[in-house]
Amino acid sequence: MNRNLDLPIEDIAPTQAPDGDIAVAGSPPADSAPVGAALPIAPGSSAALAAAALLAACGGAESDDDFAGAATPAAFRNPGTAVHRQDILPLHGHRATRLSAQRYRVPTPGELLDYAERAYPQFFPTRQTNVEWDGIVYRFYRATGNYVGVSGGDVLVLGPVSGNALARVGSLQDFSALVFAGRPVLAPASDEDAARFLLHAQFSAGIDQIAQVRSRGYEAWLDEQLALPNSQSGWDWLMEKGYSAIDVNEFFFAFGSNNYMIWYQLFQSPDAVRRRWALALSEVFVVSWRGIKDVLNWDNFAMAHYWDILCRHALGNYRDLLEELTLSPAMGAFLSTRGNQKENPATGRLPDENYAREVMQLFSIGLLQLNMDGSPRRDAQGRPIESYTADDITNLARVFTGYRLDDSGPSFINPNAPHQRIIHLDTVRHPMVLDPNQHSPLEKRFLGVTIPAGTPGPESLRIALDALFNHPNTAPFLARQFIQRLVTSHPSPAYIERVASAFANNGAGVRGDLRAVLKAVLLDDEARGAASLASNSFGKLREPMLRVAQWGRTFRLRSKLGRWKASWGPWNPARELGQYPLDPPSVFNFFRPGYVPPGTAMALEGATAPEFQIVNESSVATWANWLLDHMSEGIWVQVPDKPGYRVPGLRDNIDIVPDYSAEMALVADTPALVRRLNLLLCAGQLSPATVTLIVEGLRQDRITAQAPDDFKRIHVARALVFVMCSAEYLVQR
Amino acid sequence: MHLLDPTKHNRREFLRRASSLALAGGAAPLALNLAALGEAAAFEAADYKALVCVFLYGGNDYANTVVPFDDASHATYSRLRGAGSGAGLVIPRAQLVASELRPTAPLPEGLRYAMAPQMPELASLFDQGRLAVQLNVGPLVVPLTRRQYNDGVLPRPPKLFSHNDQQSVWQAEGADGSTRGWGGKIGDLALQGNGQSMFTCISISGNAVFLSGRNALQYQCSRAGAVSIEALRGSSWGQFFYEPGMRTYFEQMLKRSHSHQLAEEYTRVVRRSLVAEQQVTGGLAAVQLGTAFPDDNALGEQLKMVARLIGARQALGVKRQVFMVSMDGFDVHDNMGPRQVVLLRKLSQALGAFDAALRELGLLDRVTTFTASDFGRTLSVNGDGTDHGWGGHQFVMGGAVKGKAFYGRPAPLSVGHSDAPEDQWHVGQGRLLPTTSVDQFGATLGRWFGASDDELHGVLPNLGHFGTRGERPDYPIDLGFMRT
Repeated sequence: MNRNLDLPIEDIAPTQAPDGDIAVAGSPPADSAPVGAALPIAPGSSAALAAAALLAACGGAESDDDFAGAATPAAFRNPGTAVHRQDILPLHGHRATRLSAQRYRVPTPGELLDYAERAYPQFFPTRQTNVEWDGIVYRFYRATGNYVGVSGGDVLVLGPVSGNALARVGSLQDFSALVFAGRPVLAPASDEDAARFLLHAQFSAGIDQIAQVRSRGYEAWLDEQLALPNSQSGWDWLMEKGYSAIDVNEFFFAFGSNNYMIWYQLFQSPDAVRRRWALALSEVFVVSWRGIKDVLNWDNFAMAHYWDILCRHALGNYRDLLEELTLSPAMGAFLSTRGNQKENPATGRLPDENYAREVMQLFSIGLLQLNMDGSPRRDAQGRPIESYTADDITNLARVFTGYRLDDSGPSFINPNAPHQRIIHLDTVRHPMVLDPNQHSPLEKRFLGVTIPAGTPGPESLRIALDALFNHPNTAPFLARQFIQRLVTSHPSPAYIERVASAFANNGAGVRGDLRAVLKAVLLDDEARGAASLASNSFGKLREPMLRVAQWGRTFRLRSKLGRWKASWGPWNPARELGQYPLDPPSVFNFFRPGYVPPGTAMALEGATAPEFQIVNESSVATWANWLLDHMSEGIWVQVPDKPGYRVPGLRDNIDIVPDYSAEMALVADTPALVRRLNLLLCAGQLSPATVTLIVEGLRQDRITAQAPDDFKRIHVARALVFVMCSAEYLVQR
Repeated sequence: MHLLDPTKHNRREFLRRASSLALAGGAAPLALNLAALGEAAAFEAADYKALVCVFLYGGNDYANTVVPFDDASHATYSRLRGAGSGAGLVIPRAQLVASELRPTAPLPEGLRYAMAPQMPELASLFDQGRLAVQLNVGPLVVPLTRRQYNDGVLPRPPKLFSHNDQQSVWQAEGADGSTRGWGGKIGDLALQGNGQSMFTCISISGNAVFLSGRNALQYQCSRAGAVSIEALRGSSWGQFFYEPGMRTYFEQMLKRSHSHQLAEEYTRVVRRSLVAEQQVTGGLAAVQLGTAFPDDNALGEQLKMVARLIGARQALGVKRQVFMVSMDGFDVHDNMGPRQVVLLRKLSQALGAFDAALRELGLLDRVTTFTASDFGRTLSVNGDGTDHGWGGHQFVMGGAVKGKAFYGRPAPLSVGHSDAPEDQWHVGQGRLLPTTSVDQFGATLGRWFGASDDELHGVLPNLGHFGTRGERPDYPIDLGFMRT
């Protein structure tokens, strides 16, 4: 099967460098006149001045191939002055290039610069390393006096090649097809490849979706999904189901309707890619229900609002997400920014440091200084360098002082307890408000940033969050975790660097674009290619909540009474699921990104496998038992026809049921049944040996096409227990 | 610098290499590794001993657990803890009178402490001589003064004040991502005497690096015992796989080997689960425990399971065991008063019941229980709570404990930054600079458990920086709280 569905390589890659049509850009560009690259520069011209500046910039370099230590050319400091030039590094066959570009991701600056060296050795003759200066990544070639660099999404050249005027030769995106020419075009070669992609990108794979991905290719399909509107919010779902009622059910007290809400959305929301990504974000930017349910009224709505923030910004910008989370009532209650007061020298009271610490350690920069590939930076003695100190925390804590819930809405009386006053519902939705009198007026000095004494609270917050947003750690620190959540537990440094680069620059000069980051994670060669599939270490253990969501979507769960009251908890130690969405044990999520399972092959290599932190001799058994309880009938719920649970005369029942009709039609053809489940649930990753055991096992039922439906249903359930207990299903590659 | 003298690390290096080789070879040749030690004789005694770690996740506030009680100290405590809303976080002296801890040998300079009023069981155990308090213990690489801490020349524990990392440092002497804890390494030493039993290290509280050794794996048991895979045996709902042949194929599939690392590791856990469940369930069936444990107390449930497993020790084939149980919720940045009170009450009730259960089993002096926590907290108040600290006070409980006593150095109550002596044992906001290291604490427990001095140096990698070997006799490696 030819994976190159696009143009043959020779049509899009420059087979030779452009010859003699080098032009010098004058100002204005329309005046440009053809000049050979080697022509002498007229003394006193502006080009000569620029060249002099360049020579000064690189003067003093001792070695021909070592540019380290030289200054950045002055012209690069004003990339906005670049003249647009498409003739220097021409984009051959423009239309074809742009068309095929849609199939490729945006290259990283390093990939672009490598390409420039490959394609234009006469201008960029040696292998140079990247120099980074104020957001510009560039390389200098002493032998020719040329620079090539990337600023924002722009590709810039400077030197004799451009007549010594700064020239913009195109965008990173424009070059993607050229940079990646010769690599496999990113479209699936098989149904299994398509299913593999779907199971990375969302919760489940359907037969129709597999066909869509195959016909459109990965990126075009993904772009379609990303263009879907954000579907019904968690807040609106709770409202629609009646959980804002003020009655004897006391929905305002830790009722748990937020669990119904999140499971409903994992099972049903149409924008599955966005929801899957938001769930991943909920494991990085954690608010845990158990952490707020006893300290905040309307905790269910507060959790829904937190989830809605994740969904809203999942395809937006991380900076916006960080700020809205910081000020959200759920986060305020969880990490105690709510009610955080400034220092009081008279009593010795100090600001609460909780949020200051966790926002750095977990939500932005992490503990250790990192390179873009996620590896720790080291000092002269080879030791990792911590990224902040206790003083940084103490200072940053001042930024988060003075916040309280916006309780301007009228409170009300608990119908069950006349002495209890309950806050207005909107209190858990409005951003926290600042009481300037409780905001620390002290100077705040952290991470090399100084917020002067007396700076107002909103400005302090802006400066602080900008500092975290722009910190060099943030891109690789988050990139590694995002890859772990969606694709593989121990990603390669190169994969991390590519995703981190997408975070640093979405191709259009925007930092923190989470849509671009998601695309970089999902469309990376390492996620899509055959090499990772052949590796014996690539992949991740499927999280229990993802297994359940996958089952729910694959088999089109339906709530008979439309109330969707699915909820699980640690009620029975022999049959518990062990993982509940939006309710991890602490801000450290269900497991740590740095977890290495002791005494294993992974430990010998220092390979992280976070999900194994919740795997043990008990949990492997409780998972199998959980399946027994749910696969044949569906989900048992409390009083399925009413929102509350104190409804006299109504009974608990099975209400949320799977649709196994397609599978029940296959019971007489066991290999076909298992093949279908292998494709939909495992992207074909069950080995032939495992398939044989499952097929032989199922044949023990000796079921025929004439069997009653009840038998067919339980037979399908047995097949599902086989598949979903298989280690080859549980590990997603 | 003598701390980095490689000759002092030879033995540790040997252990590390030996175990790496063992693991690299595939199946772990435990016998080879332990035989190479040649020092496990102490574990071959026929008697039974167990260590039980009670981890208080979140960082327990020491000052409101073991509360300053003499007039002068309580006044200072009241001043420092009185900031913030209302009366701050001060436990009034009148509430502490009944729970004053009266050690056999009074502390110097008139220092007195009282147990938090919600902990009468522990106060009583102290009085009966089965509970000791280890003052100001925490992770240290080397002994440090505040000046040395500030200078930053001598090594500090990594990533101080961070929850997950300090949990890991307490349990494994390395930050998050460490793979071996000192409980598990003590378990390694006991493996041979235990006939390689997988029940040497048992966690009832999920995964904890404390119990992971070089060769000893932590068996993770639920609070209700071992969980069986019901599909293999049929269940109360009837047999899910009606055809016996189907169960056979299912079991084959579950146990199948895989070349993929993650799949194989999952399968290894499944295989262990199947074997262990039969042994545990069979063993527990024979243990009847009359002692009542408190209701609605997760720690109590865990400790009850520990007591039952200890009761089943012969069926499980173990003579030495290390257990881990835990409580959550000690990270009281806000609303600390009411929140900590609830936790301490549960802790005290659960430990009190565990002591009673051990008496029932006749094993009071065979089981030593100790608390540990991420860190202590600040003395300073942040409004209605406290923030992350470093050193804290811990309890050691059991019939082999020289109870009714305080060990370690009482920590001055201070948040000041002067050169005065009372300001030298915190590193800001009353975060205690530990005067006893986790290594010393662990070594004292490990020696009672039966490990030799040499073995302890292999188990606790920083131990060589303390005691006579570290030329710091003021930081002894036997803190003296265990009977020998």
